[in-house]
Amino acid sequence: MNERDFMQDNGKPAIADQLRAFIRQKFKIPEQDGEFNDDVHLFDYGYVDSFGAVELTTFVEKTFGTRISETDLVAYPLNTINEIADFVWKRQKGAV
Amino acid sequence: MGMTLIPLNAIDRDYLSQLDYALSFVSEDVRSYRIIDNPLAIELDLVSESSKESVLRKVQELVQRYERREFGLPSKVHFEQRRELKPINAWEELISRRWVTPVGQGHVILRGPAAQLAGLVEAKVDAIARTFAAEREVYPATILCKTLDRIHHFTSFPEHIDFVAHLKGDLDVLNRFSTECREAGWSPAAQDGRMADADFAICPSCCYHCYEGMENWDLAPPGRCTTMAVACHRYEGANHRTMSRLRAFTQRDVVWVGHPRFAVESRAKAEDLIVQWAREWELTGALETANDMFFTQDYAVKASFQRQQQAKKELRLLIPQEGQSISVFSSNFHAMTFGKAFNIQVGGRPASSACVGWGYERWVYALFSQFGLEVEKWPQALKREFQAFQAAKP
Repeated sequence: MNERDFMQDNGKPAIADQLRAFIRQKFKIPEQDGEFNDDVHLFDYGYVDSFGAVELTTFVEKTFGTRISETDLVAYPLNTINEIADFVWKRQKGAV
Repeated sequence: MGMTLIPLNAIDRDYLSQLDYALSFVSEDVRSYRIIDNPLAIELDLVSESSKESVLRKVQELVQRYERREFGLPSKVHFEQRRELKPINAWEELISRRWVTPVGQGHVILRGPAAQLAGLVEAKVDAIARTFAAEREVYPATILCKTLDRIHHFTSFPEHIDFVAHLKGDLDVLNRFSTECREAGWSPAAQDGRMADADFAICPSCCYHCYEGMENWDLAPPGRCTTMAVACHRYEGANHRTMSRLRAFTQRDVVWVGHPRFAVESRAKAEDLIVQWAREWELTGALETANDMFFTQDYAVKASFQRQQQAKKELRLLIPQEGQSISVFSSNFHAMTFGKAFNIQVGGRPASSACVGWGYERWVYALFSQFGLEVEKWPQALKREFQAFQAAKP
C-alpha cells in the first residue's frame, strides 16, 4: 500500500497526523506548548506567518498531491490542522 | 526609438496598481513606462534598442508574478467615511508657502504649520500609546544588514534598501576623494571603488530594532508594549512623488510582543482608536485589508495569505488631487516571525508580535490635500486641536 492509499484508507486522522508532525517540526513548536492542538487557529496563534504559509501549502501539495489554490484559500476555512486535513481528505475523494 | 508595447492579457485589474509599482524596478534601461488601456498593455520607453531583448524578458518575468491569479486580491473594508472634497494641489501650495521644501528625490523638509501638524499627529499618537502603557524606546536610524537578513527582509523587499557605506579607511583613498571633490566637486564617480562594504542599512521600517533589542528575552505574560519613532528610508524608484511616497520619512510605531492574544487584541483596540480618530477629524478614507508589496516570485501566496488572515490593514486617505488614496496608518500581525528570529519567549513559547504605525509626512500631506491650507476651513475637531497645539507649542 503506498502512502496515498494508506491515507485515503485511514482518512482524515492520518492526514492530520502528517500535518501536525510537519508543523511541529517546521515551525519549532515545543512539546510542552499547551495551546497547540488540531483546532488551534494556526495564524491567529502565531504558529504560521506568510513565509510559513508558502511552506505549508508546498508541503500539502508534495505530500498529499493536493494543491491549495487561491480560490481554495477564500472558499474554505483552512486555519487549523483539522480544517486543512478535512479539506485534503475531501479533495482526494473529489468531494470539494 | 519608438515606444515598446507589451500586452497584458491575463492580469486581474486588482493587481494593476501593484504591477505598476513593481515595474519601476524592472530595469535601469527603461526611461519611462505606463500602463495603458484599450487594449491593456505596458508602454515602455527604452534607453536603447540594444537593451530591448533583456528588458522584455525582465518585464515578462515580472508580469507573470501578477498574471493568472484565480481571483482578485481579497479585500475587506472595516471602516469607510466619505465627504465631498474638491481637488487641492497641496503639494504646490505647501512648497509655495515654504511650509514644505523638497531636498532631493523623496526627501522633504517640513516647517511652519506643516511641522506643527506633524507635531499634532505625534501628540495624538502619544495619547494612543499611553492607553497601552507603551514603554518609549529610542533607536538608531540605521540597522545591521545581518539583522535584516535574519528577518528575511532582503528576500521580501530587496528593491528598497538604502545601504549605508563609508569610504575605505585608507589615507590614499581619503586624500584622492577629498582632492577630487575640491577640484571638480562631488560626483558618484568620486566614490567608485573607494567604498568599504556596507554593513548597515537605513532602517526600512520602524520596529525592527525592537525585536533585535529583545533577543533571548523571556517575557512575563502577556508581554510588553513599546513605542518608538524612527527616520526610515525606502527607495521606491519612479514611485516617489509629492509627499505620497517619500524615500525618507518619519514613522512612529506602537509594538506588542508577547502572547498572541495580547498582540491580536491590542492591535484590534488600536484599530478602534484610529477609526474614532478618523471620525472625529472627518477624514475621507477607509480602514481596509492590505498586503505588503513583496518583491518576490511567491508574491501571490504571501499577499493572498496576508489578506486572507487580515494580517495587514491600512487606513488609506483620499488625495483628491491625485485621484488615489495613500496609507497613513498600518496595523500588522507578524505571528511568531520575530519571536523565533530573535528567540523572544513568553510562557515557554516563542512570542508573537503586532505593530501599528503612522507615517507623519503622509498624514500632513493627506490633511492639507483634503482640507486645504486655510485652517479656518478645516473640520471643527481638527481645527480646535490644531489651534490648541499651536498655542501650546508655537
